[in-house]
Amino acid sequence: MKTTDLLMKIDRRIIYLILLVVVTLPLIFPSVQSVRVMPPVEKLFNAIDTIPADKSLIIDFDYDPQTLPELEPMAIAILRHAFERRIKVLALSLYVQPLGLATNALNQVTAEYNSKASTRADSIIYGRDYVFLGWQPPPLVPILGMGESIINVYKTDYYGNQTDTLPLMQRIKNYSNVGLLVSLSSGDPPRWWIEYAQNRFGLHVGAGITAVSASEFYPYLQTGQFSGLMVGMKGAAEYEEIVSSQMGIVGRRKASEALPSLTYAHLVMIAFIVVGNIGFFIQRRHK
Amino acid sequence: MTLSHDPWVWISAILSIAILSFLFRDNPFYKLAEHIFVGVANGWAVTFYWHNVLMPSLFNPLFRQGQFLLTIPFIIGILYLTRFIPRVSWLVRIPIGISMGYAVGASIPAVSQAYIIKQIQGTILTPENFQAWNAGTTGIIWSVILLLGVICTLSYFFFSREHKGLLGVTSRIGIVFVMIGFGAAFGYTVMARISLLIGRLQFLLGPWLGIID
Repeated sequence: MKTTDLLMKIDRRIIYLILLVVVTLPLIFPSVQSVRVMPPVEKLFNAIDTIPADKSLIIDFDYDPQTLPELEPMAIAILRHAFERRIKVLALSLYVQPLGLATNALNQVTAEYNSKASTRADSIIYGRDYVFLGWQPPPLVPILGMGESIINVYKTDYYGNQTDTLPLMQRIKNYSNVGLLVSLSSGDPPRWWIEYAQNRFGLHVGAGITAVSASEFYPYLQTGQFSGLMVGMKGAAEYEEIVSSQMGIVGRRKASEALPSLTYAHLVMIAFIVVGNIGFFIQRRHK
Repeated sequence: MTLSHDPWVWISAILSIAILSFLFRDNPFYKLAEHIFVGVANGWAVTFYWHNVLMPSLFNPLFRQGQFLLTIPFIIGILYLTRFIPRVSWLVRIPIGISMGYAVGASIPAVSQAYIIKQIQGTILTPENFQAWNAGTTGIIWSVILLLGVICTLSYFFFSREHKGLLGVTSRIGIVFVMIGFGAAFGYTVMARISLLIGRLQFLLGPWLGIID
């Protein structure tokens, strides 16, 4: 069999095996890869950083286990940024599946801050600094309803507390008390927030999305409908970088740790595409 | 290297490997893991809906607190189940009609504004749009390329006339933009799928095998 025939008939399992090795080795033997923060991520960082003291940040956790590696590092980095700046956070989800994952992210970052805190004032306190509103179906109802009254939509929070008894909810009535909403999603929610909450109530919206949906959402950034945008694991690593370099926040950076694997895997994919195309053209010429 | 002592980590790791084994070939372990996933996800969602939606928002207020106005949505909701009774299955059109009417009424103005009007505004050559690229003086070049791309791509999808002459030129340029778009989408898809593999490996090598932190 000719070399070109071999190139055209590589067993897909060999490709998977090579990818597995290429992705695994940089995780076991970590190396530092510099991250350049791109303007869309920088815009999101600035949008969160400049939220006025009397306004809050809403984080819409809409990722599930399938998209966890891309979107969870974004959630962690944004929470670290918000808690460091003492920005009040409302968390919610438009789907059922992300609720447990959102709780994990909130608990992890709260624990990080509270382990360093020496007084109650330094600590991140539930109800005072953040509230997890939970889930209220169908998605259109909370998106539109919160423009009028948040506690009317979420009468109880995720843990079953009456929302009108929580100190933070006395201050945050509706979107007029919200500086920015960041939607972390693998699907349509960022678009829904623009279509219904931004169009009708003027809510500022930022987004963290999976790489698969990037080309679908970039147009919203160019028109200014998104205040900033993070795309995939690379976007998460950029946000981790900007939070670390500008605010000195130390903590595990899962997306940044994964970047070498991501880079080498891409190089391997490019090599396979080039080799496959060379084989195809040589074979076609011989015919 | 410290292996996990947490049984849940072991279950998660074994199920992950069972799912990944599909890459070699279809096998009973993959099928088992797939069925467990579907069953658990549905069971959890149904239980969650019952305890967090139906009980607090409908049954408790209606039957325990006497908010009888909720009888109306309750009956409309129940009509969805008439689909299983052939003689009265036509009644299912009522809740479907109400849901569709609400969704369409709410979405038409919102989608037109966000999708069409704002996107058209974004393609107009204005100083604000030049600045939106964050590219300094070259912003004007990107805006012109964007405008050209939109017009040429639209002309490619104009099938009422044969693609000859000026329309032929613009549609050929349009297909180049479409192909660049597909290439970008494919590249991003590769990045997303590799990211998911990395995420799983971070779990398998970390919490399960203890090889990495």
